[in-house]
Amino acid sequence: MRQVTPIFAVGALAGLVIGALAAGAFAADPPEIAITIEKNRFQPEEIRVKAGQPFVLVVTNKDATPEEFESKELRIEKVIPGGKTLKIRVRALKAGSYPFVGDFHQATAKGRIVAE
Amino acid sequence: MGATFVVTLREAFEAALLLGIVYSYLDRVGARAQYRWVTLGGALGLVASVLGGVAVWFLSGPLLDLGPDLVAAAVIFVAVALLTWHSWWMRQHARAVTGDVQRRLDEARATQRLWIVGLVAFTGVFREGAETVLFLWGLMSQVSVSGFGGLAGGVLGIGTAAALGWAIFRGGRRLSLPRFFNVTSVLLMLVAAGLCSTGFGKLQALGALPATDPLWDSSWLLNDGGVIGGFLGGLVGYRARPTVFEVGAYGAYLIAATLVFFARRGPADQAPDASEREAHVG
Repeated sequence: MRQVTPIFAVGALAGLVIGALAAGAFAADPPEIAITIEKNRFQPEEIRVKAGQPFVLVVTNKDATPEEFESKELRIEKVIPGGKTLKIRVRALKAGSYPFVGDFHQATAKGRIVAE
Repeated sequence: MGATFVVTLREAFEAALLLGIVYSYLDRVGARAQYRWVTLGGALGLVASVLGGVAVWFLSGPLLDLGPDLVAAAVIFVAVALLTWHSWWMRQHARAVTGDVQRRLDEARATQRLWIVGLVAFTGVFREGAETVLFLWGLMSQVSVSGFGGLAGGVLGIGTAAALGWAIFRGGRRLSLPRFFNVTSVLLMLVAAGLCSTGFGKLQALGALPATDPLWDSSWLLNDGGVIGGFLGGLVGYRARPTVFEVGAYGAYLIAATLVFFARRGPADQAPDASEREAHVG
């Protein structure tokens, strides 16, 4: 009995948190910023946003191959299949520079978000 | 080639580590007949990874925007629960070793709980599996003179991870039984704490938890975007700029797990259940 309880406890916690997540994610309506991946590069490579305001990155992958938009600092890891567009919600940032990479093509796919 | 090697090695290593540990665990408790649960779990994890990778191509709109994140967050917390359960169980064995190990193991087998190691194998493979499938798929679809090196590197990375898993399995067999249980349960605890912390970081990034400033910045010492830092990040949850939620989740998990796994000596031991007491006496 005792070895089953923690699983249920964590399961219940996960359920709650994911519920809150789903509710929160569809709440507000922040500005959208478009960014494109083409030939394993980001366009533009520098995105300027207002500090202290959440926003949505609309990422379009024009390549045939998938790419992973990854930012260690922002805790974002999102695979974008070839030819697809997806939206990534980004929380309000403090002023500063936040690098991101295309994890699948790190040599070329690099960029940064500058919050000011 | 080097870059793709690092990517697949990093993604596959966690799975290889977990598989190595659960296989050697079964070997050490004399339950080799139960290997099939791990093999089945790992194979199903692979199938689910391919299906997950394929599914991403068919998703669009909010499902594509949020679906993979929700699945990833759920898998992280399920993995934390499973790893906790598994290390708790190994601690029980470690304690029983001083008493009557065989009886405890027979008991475990009799109650059919060994199939849960299959779930550990499943989540271990599935967690980074879909991403790895998409990555390799991308490499394959651009195979040309330049792309071939990348694909070779990717495949080599998975092969290396598998070899490391095998080395862990072999190494696990060389340790004395009590030491094996101790080392692996501590290792799994660190992996679970890292996952727990990663899960909370993800929830913050997704807006389910409030955003907070980094508690410190150790990127000058070890950057989590680099090869070693990235590796440690995947394995034990290293972050160069952790948030208070990440550090808190890590610490809280370690403290709770340590209390549950290690500090149950003395009066508290008397109460819980009869089999526990018998194991100590016997």
